[in-house]
Amino acid sequence: MLLFRSEETVNRWCAAQDRPRRPLITLEQLWRLAVTWYENRLTPGSRRPAADEMVNVFSSVGLTGPFWDPKSDLW
Amino acid sequence: MSDEVDTAVKMELYRITAERGRVPNASELSEVMGLPRNDVIAAFARLHRRRLLVPEKRDPARIRMAPPFSGIPTAFPVEAKGKRYYANCVWDAFGIAAALHSDAVIPASDGYTAEPLTLQITDNEPVPQAYVAHFAVPAAHWWDDIVFT
Repeated sequence: MLLFRSEETVNRWCAAQDRPRRPLITLEQLWRLAVTWYENRLTPGSRRPAADEMVNVFSSVGLTGPFWDPKSDLW
Repeated sequence: MSDEVDTAVKMELYRITAERGRVPNASELSEVMGLPRNDVIAAFARLHRRRLLVPEKRDPARIRMAPPFSGIPTAFPVEAKGKRYYANCVWDAFGIAAALHSDAVIPASDGYTAEPLTLQITDNEPVPQAYVAHFAVPAAHWWDDIVFT
């Protein structure tokens, strides 16, 4: 996943790459995801969230729908 | 037994990475831990199956990704704790600050124009900017090609 100054440069990147526009994430949302995913990564019991947990994590920062569902086959 | 080895390898790998700013290879871990090198490589493979590490495809003794850290230099350097780390993507750049529980400066760039865009984490929050992250791949397919994702 990449960083962009604005939605405009996202659209230009998607056009240049011939890729569909996907959801955009604010820095505040990204930080909350990063903290949830990684704040315990250097401790012995750390693990990746399971699929259902991932859906809840994304939902907690306002990211919902099949794009954010690791079990979805709608893509 | 292998679970204990896997956890020990993972913890030592992350400890060294945090301390030195670079991801150690199997030989370094073998020496530090007193384990046979092949046992460390086998642990890398098991941890990969659990989606915790990504060894290099052509050299299973080296780690390409120990999320959020990258085993190779990337476009997402992270300055924290007086060291330079490398992240796999912008999410992982924030993830390094979160994992280290540290302020951080991330000299990144726009994914299309390459314009420098500096991110900063201060006091456990990102310094506000109107920048955005774009996820090109849906969650169900992140691990189809995790290096691209």
